[in-house]
Amino acid sequence: MAFVEIEGKQVEVDEDGFMVDPAEWFEGWAHHIAKQEGIEELTERHWHVVNFLKDYYAKTGIAPMIRKLCKESGIPLKEMYELFPTGPAKGACKIAGLPKPTGCV
Amino acid sequence: MSANELRQPKRASAALFKKLGMDLVPDNEKVAAAIGHIDDFRLKVRSFVMAMETCVKCGACAEACHTYLGTRDPNNIPAGRVDLIRKVYKRYFTVQGQLFPGLVGAQDLDLETIEKWYSYFYQCSECRRCAHVCPFGIDTAEVTFIARQILYWLGIAPQLHTATADAILRTGNHMGLTKAGIIDTLEFLSEEIEEEYDGLKVDFPVDKPDSDILYVPSSADFMLNPRTLFGAGQFFKYVGANWTISSEITEAGNFGYLSDQTRIQREMVTRLLAEAKKYGCKKIVWGECGHGWRAAKMYVPTLADLVAVKQIPITHIHDEVEAYIKAGLLELDPKRNDSKITLHDPCNYARACGHADNMRTIMNAVVPKGAFVEMTPNREANFCCGGGSGILFDDPGMYQFRIEASNKKAEQVRETGAEILCAPCSICKAQLYPMVKEHKLPVEVFGLIDLVGHALVFRE
Amino acid sequence: MSLFLGQILPYIAAVVFISGVTWRIWRWMIPRIVHNITLSPFPGSWSKAIVWILWQFATFWNLLKFDRPLWLGAWFMHIALFLMLGGHVMAFYTVGLQFHVMAPGIITAEMSLAMSDWIGTILGLIFLVALLYLLGRRLANEQVRAISSSSDYLHLFLLIGIATVGNIMRLFPEYHLGYAPVREYLAGLFLFNPVPLPDHSLFLIKYTLVMILMIIFPFSKLMHSFGFFWERWIVNRPYTEPARGLPGARLQLHK
Repeated sequence: MAFVEIEGKQVEVDEDGFMVDPAEWFEGWAHHIAKQEGIEELTERHWHVVNFLKDYYAKTGIAPMIRKLCKESGIPLKEMYELFPTGPAKGACKIAGLPKPTGCV
Repeated sequence: MSANELRQPKRASAALFKKLGMDLVPDNEKVAAAIGHIDDFRLKVRSFVMAMETCVKCGACAEACHTYLGTRDPNNIPAGRVDLIRKVYKRYFTVQGQLFPGLVGAQDLDLETIEKWYSYFYQCSECRRCAHVCPFGIDTAEVTFIARQILYWLGIAPQLHTATADAILRTGNHMGLTKAGIIDTLEFLSEEIEEEYDGLKVDFPVDKPDSDILYVPSSADFMLNPRTLFGAGQFFKYVGANWTISSEITEAGNFGYLSDQTRIQREMVTRLLAEAKKYGCKKIVWGECGHGWRAAKMYVPTLADLVAVKQIPITHIHDEVEAYIKAGLLELDPKRNDSKITLHDPCNYARACGHADNMRTIMNAVVPKGAFVEMTPNREANFCCGGGSGILFDDPGMYQFRIEASNKKAEQVRETGAEILCAPCSICKAQLYPMVKEHKLPVEVFGLIDLVGHALVFRE
Repeated sequence: MSLFLGQILPYIAAVVFISGVTWRIWRWMIPRIVHNITLSPFPGSWSKAIVWILWQFATFWNLLKFDRPLWLGAWFMHIALFLMLGGHVMAFYTVGLQFHVMAPGIITAEMSLAMSDWIGTILGLIFLVALLYLLGRRLANEQVRAISSSSDYLHLFLLIGIATVGNIMRLFPEYHLGYAPVREYLAGLFLFNPVPLPDHSLFLIKYTLVMILMIIFPFSKLMHSFGFFWERWIVNRPYTEPARGLPGARLQLHK
């Protein structure tokens, strides 16, 4: 397994650079991935989505349905793609430390 | 051409294969291992042997393949792609190839060819349009299945397929959905239906004992296709079915079918039948998923180990909706789907499962007269969306390939002038959501059962 | 040499052809049809499936539907070949009286000979033109060229060679060889009672080319003529749909 070093911490990542164990998440990770995703700075809107994803994952063990994410975070899909250019299922989940979605996505 | 010039999806790591209990075959053993596997297959699978030995290289398949049309790479001509294996087959297993390899186009196997297999057999979407067009009916998809299986055994498979296989073994679905996640999503959908359809109460029972019907939705519906789940729930509510979804097999697809038919595909079948038995189901009804439906409809009877559960009939939700429409039992209001709409026949429905008619019966019942426009070609001759067989890769080179492979589809859709593109298959949807943007098509993508649910008129 | 070509090679060719084809087909029968991979729409029954397969066989329906230019060359080439193969058997057996034998009341012996000449000549020309057309297509069409190997061309050259010699023998009286001497020679072969080869160089060339064709046939893509049926048997088979209706539902299809 591959590791990346962020702020002196070794984080285990998969082939696509997603965090292997979401429990290891820390803020530095989010900033690090955001840069890779072409997001200059994580705004309050970004954090709103990231925290929602983290909480939801902690509760259910999955990433939320996109419709639910938009509805409950109050951020429409269009804005979601402006915030996270690779989309909520990939970019946002990566920043939030969720595993990469598999299957037909 | 060296391996790094070939277009290849991102590979699964040794660690990921390890999770599936597999060690990578070292490079110096790959060739011998692959030849051994070909030898096994030629003694076991007739469709493979006939594809190896019947082709006359007439080239009728070239213009039939959306991948070739999109890439213009001769190795993507179905006959050319199969030749990547056929050359090797000829060299080792035919008289002419052993005596006159140069003359008959036979070749020793080497690592470079194996790299080409990995590139080109993951550009084939197993859509079988070439089998439909071939004067002999040579089924190139059979060769792709076998090539992918051999590669998998060598420890070469896309990260996407392998990670999905891992999710299957952990959870019984592609997305790694947990029971808590499934229930939460479905409760959310119940609320959404209630809100959108004037207080209509639709429950989505999960793991409910003593159910008559086991509904098998695509796990992607839980992330991307809420309306497909709406439609199924509304239909079952309307007919008053005693149904359930099993959290152990919340998956209509079967990625095992697409990369590892010996273990992962079988795992899905075993789970399916065990769950149907567990809840006392008398029938299994399939959700919208193309390859998975083919794997269920055509392969479960030959893959199921237990005779007792083999007897549980499996139908598609479209089959059932069609039958209820024909019996005049559904009140549908087509005006609710009042947009110009076209239908993309998913490959596995049209060419492998005989759904061309039932989809049209449903379509004509749920949209106003004249709203449905056919794309050309259609039915059995339809072109693949470009993402078939799970080649939904997002690494940049392969994403570019997906755009190219959907050129033909975009052209077909554009010609119809439709506003809604109905594509009742999870892979098609996952491919077409981004592709309509890439090709700047002014359409929205939906499933077919989505439209049924929307048109159903509930009284009381 | 003429002993070898006339009395030895023919038997070798026949044995290689028959045993080779049998061996290839036997090998096809070893592996199983594992799953039902029929193409839809499914034929409703075996008889419908067989009718569809024969329809495909007789018309080259898929080519007609999806690749008209290829159909033009392929269908005419094959139909001319089949009719000529039949024609050769009949004409040599009856010494050109086959049509008279088939309809003795209507067609006289002279008419039969004339018909045999005319039909044979026309088919021979169609065959040659179609082969040249297919060769031209294989060379001109970039996609087909990309997937062709040397043997694909050699098969065409061999058939073109046979057709050309045959046509010369038909069209130019000085090279003509009647049915009778060939019949006599072939009868000798069949009855294991050797009769010398007719002394006719073009016949010798054509006859040798045909024997070469028979020898390579089982080890080449020419086996597609049999492969067609084995492949179609896999992809065009009936499937029966399970009954519709949801057990236990409030609304039932049949009351």
